[in-house]
Amino acid sequence: MSADVQLENVWVQFGDFVAVRDTSLTIQGGEFFSFLGPSGCGKTTLLRAISGFQEPSRGRVLIGGKDMAGTGPNQRPTALIFQNLALFPLMSVWENISFALEVKGVNKSVRRKKADELLELVALPGQGDKMVDELSGGQKQRVAVARALCAEPEVLLLDEPLSALDLKLRQHMRTELRAIQQRAGITFIYITHDQGEALTMSDRVAVMRQGTIDQVSDGTIVYDRPETAFVASFVGENNAFPGRVIEVTQGIASVQTKSGVLHAEVSAVSPLTSGDAGIVFVRPESVRFADPSALQNRLEVTVANQEFEGHFWHLVLQTAEGSVIRMSVMNDGERETYEIGSRIAVSFTAQGAIALAQGELAAE
Amino acid sequence: MTSARVLRLAVGFYILLFFTYLFGPLIVMSFTAFNSSEFPSISPWNCVTPEWFGVLFKDQHLMGGLRSSLLVGIGVVLLAVPIGLAASLLITQLQKRARSIVYTIAISPILVPGVVLGISTLVFWERIDRVVLGVEDSFFYDGYFMTIIGQSTFIAAYAMLVFLARLQRFDPGLEEAALDLGATHTQVFRKILLPFLKPAIASAAVLAFLASFENYNTTVFTIVSKSTLTTVLASKVRYGINPSISALAVIIIGLTLVGAVIHEYLRRKEVAKTEALAAEGLPAPTRSRSGNRVLRVPVGALASLIFVAMLATAWIARDYDVAQCKVQVTEENRKKFDALKQQRLAEAKAKREANRQDADVAVETNQAGRQYQNIFAPTNLGSQIDSTEPSEPDSDATTAVETNQAGRQYQNIFAPTNLDGQVDSETKDE
Amino acid sequence: MAVWFRRFLARNGTMLSLYMLAAVALWMVLMIVLPQLFMLDFSFRHNWQQIDPSRMGGPDDVYTFVNYHFLAYGSPNNPDPFNVVDVTVFFRTIIAAIFVTLFDLALCYPIAYYLAQVARGGKARLLVLFLIIPFWINELLRAFAFRILFGEEGTINAILLSIGVLDQPIDFVREDVALYAGLGYAYILLMIFPIYNVVESLDKNQIEAARDLGASWARIHRRVVIPFAKPGISSGCTMVFMLSAGALAAPQILGGPSSLWFTQIIYQWFNTGSNWPRGSAYAIVLMLSCVLLVLAIMRIFKVKIGEIGR
Repeated sequence: MSADVQLENVWVQFGDFVAVRDTSLTIQGGEFFSFLGPSGCGKTTLLRAISGFQEPSRGRVLIGGKDMAGTGPNQRPTALIFQNLALFPLMSVWENISFALEVKGVNKSVRRKKADELLELVALPGQGDKMVDELSGGQKQRVAVARALCAEPEVLLLDEPLSALDLKLRQHMRTELRAIQQRAGITFIYITHDQGEALTMSDRVAVMRQGTIDQVSDGTIVYDRPETAFVASFVGENNAFPGRVIEVTQGIASVQTKSGVLHAEVSAVSPLTSGDAGIVFVRPESVRFADPSALQNRLEVTVANQEFEGHFWHLVLQTAEGSVIRMSVMNDGERETYEIGSRIAVSFTAQGAIALAQGELAAE
Repeated sequence: MTSARVLRLAVGFYILLFFTYLFGPLIVMSFTAFNSSEFPSISPWNCVTPEWFGVLFKDQHLMGGLRSSLLVGIGVVLLAVPIGLAASLLITQLQKRARSIVYTIAISPILVPGVVLGISTLVFWERIDRVVLGVEDSFFYDGYFMTIIGQSTFIAAYAMLVFLARLQRFDPGLEEAALDLGATHTQVFRKILLPFLKPAIASAAVLAFLASFENYNTTVFTIVSKSTLTTVLASKVRYGINPSISALAVIIIGLTLVGAVIHEYLRRKEVAKTEALAAEGLPAPTRSRSGNRVLRVPVGALASLIFVAMLATAWIARDYDVAQCKVQVTEENRKKFDALKQQRLAEAKAKREANRQDADVAVETNQAGRQYQNIFAPTNLGSQIDSTEPSEPDSDATTAVETNQAGRQYQNIFAPTNLDGQVDSETKDE
Repeated sequence: MAVWFRRFLARNGTMLSLYMLAAVALWMVLMIVLPQLFMLDFSFRHNWQQIDPSRMGGPDDVYTFVNYHFLAYGSPNNPDPFNVVDVTVFFRTIIAAIFVTLFDLALCYPIAYYLAQVARGGKARLLVLFLIIPFWINELLRAFAFRILFGEEGTINAILLSIGVLDQPIDFVREDVALYAGLGYAYILLMIFPIYNVVESLDKNQIEAARDLGASWARIHRRVVIPFAKPGISSGCTMVFMLSAGALAAPQILGGPSSLWFTQIIYQWFNTGSNWPRGSAYAIVLMLSCVLLVLAIMRIFKVKIGEIGR
């Protein structure tokens, strides 16, 4: 069973501070939906508003079409997986998992059976009698998921549950969580500041900034077609060239920047007209070594540094007027290395870049 | 290097002195419990005896006091621990300002002198009794009731501090997690918070009971016509002391040591458990292994020391007869006393004897010599004998000295032989 | 307030909220605040209950300063300009309590420092355990132990006589040595633990840094450790001072026949003197003086009351 979650003009305020500002959104039943944003953007507050730990100051939260106002967290069809997991340290694994049944007064043998089933589901068979402290980080993670699923929620809420794990385990658990979600067939709402997690697991991603949602779409669109300067700079790496739009023809904007006139596609959602303040964003992997014939978007640069990351080389380049450009080159074994300090020319296509209205950028 | 060694020596010496101050009085007191002397002391050691324990258990006042102390202690645990728990839970939920006000009121009973708490409790409930209810000696004006209330006033604050310390380590996320899984508030309290607080409840209860058990300052006012162990003890210690009090102290010290060993044992088991987890390469709060091993030695040593002491006591007690020893000691004391008395009497007698002889001689010489010395001779002679001044400026005195010396020679010669006869006759006279 | 209350109810549920509020209210109102107020009220009343119960509640039953006046000036036919006995005892009690506090501080600071910073692991734990053991033993019994030690025929006299240091036993009880030693002993733990707790949280690197910079031990303690340990020191001093000024058991057992402790006078008013209002007045004076003294000293050393008892 899965349910839609609808947010209608939700505000959450703490005194003068606005944590969530006028947010409206519909999350489909059975969807894996992520909120992505830097810390302090209001995503956890929004999650607590959905789970019932935080009443919205204004607006409504509907789950399965029912208004949740006045319904406490213990009566909502949601289950929350906490950032620190909040497993009960004094209970065994199976008691943790079947806690939701225990509070309903279900008898012990039924609870035990259900717990064992869930342990199978999260790939921890036969670990029910251990204490929580005896588990490794990844195992705790799975127990937390099993415990939440035992409540048979229609919506599972996850608050950065992977942040405590090391990189390898985190990548493994992403796949695992996605698989569990598909097996359980319920709505997952996932909170993270890690774009990798959001992009790999989610059907759709909402990028949040200072209490508002900048963009909601699937992962590829968020990455390839950002709608705001913030999204462009927060999701993935991007080189930014701020300037003024000179003209827009056939969906291509020409922007006067310190590095000369650059050409880039204009977003269909947030159009630009000449005279606007705009920023040209270019992904490091869209920057190429310039052919002698390429005249558009051509930049003369000095190699300032290069970093080797296995499948990629990352070059740090500096233009004559001092701005820094990052460039990624696939390590195909044929590339010649560049001395630091050597002068080269790079370029990118207008289709490989995007021009957006100026706005707040994500902090580095 | 040498200065570091001197420093270490000094520190070691200081710690030794400190712990002597700490344990010396208790050890001395413990020994007095086994001395048959009527007064608690170790200096004239008479006989090793367990009799004071018997006296202790036969003491109706003390036993009655013990019973009411247990009663009051249980009452205080039942009242103060729930109050302390409620206060700690409330304080953790209060905002900054309100929290500091409530906290200040809550710990004030710890700072207020115990006698003041006793007095205020007594006055308050006496007023309630007399003015509000208009009856005398109602339920409220009862020694046990007022003592439980009065002691709980500050013991609840102790309990609260114990709970606050534990709550600081509580993750509120656990409560939210349980709520989120559908638990009611009561269930969250019962299934999550209470189990977490269980060790703190146990230690608060033990602390509350012990604090109640040994309280005197408050109790002495609130107990009115009844008595607890401490009030009985106080009157006993003030008015008539015998070593049965030391025997009571030995029992309490013994219980404390047993408690300490058990506490240490439980803790070590806990440490061993977390270490076992750590050994499996799993994250667990770990203590250094070496620390534990260091600890194992002294605690083991303490336990075996107590064991050996018990064995030794049993061994000595096997062929040791207290009654016989006591007779012996009484006999020895009598002898010692007699010897002392005889010595005193002998001295006195000898002195008298000597005086008489000297006086005789002096009188003779005086009569042979100058007449006028008669006047002061008898009084003067005694002091001359004592001081034995060899040179006397007066020529008359010189003769006196000579005769004195003659007398002395006599005295020296027959004094030892003469003693027995004298003493015998003296003792017969008594 | 209303908002807070609603949130409080929502967070704890009705049952638990009710239990918390009721228990705390009962404690604070019926056990802490009201009894103190009643005692204050009582201290301003005549002792009609004992003298003439029929005048209670009548026109004579009015507020009066007579009890406080008595403490200061004694009975009306007292020839002295003030109540020599009680006032002397009062000041001697306060001064002796200060002396006991300083004695404990001097005695305990090195031990607390040693336990917190020098001793390690198992040894430190064991020493702490040894420290606690004597304090599970009844205060009266501890005083009794000192009486055995310091009596005229006590252990110390016996030892000193036998090794020839003395040829005449010293009456330690009459000289108040027994009382001070016993009081100092009684509250050692209350001095050590607050200091220990604070000093333990002092980063060892700070001490090492100071030593590395060439500071002497005395300077390290004066400039680094003691300023850091100030909350613990003042907390320990406050408790030791309050408890020794308010002690009753030790003075009753160890006090000399001629030297009274102020609490003993209070006790006499309640017990043999049968003048509760006067006893209440004396108790109030004792409590207020102690609290004011402590507050004044805390202000001088800039420590907050909230740091006490942690």
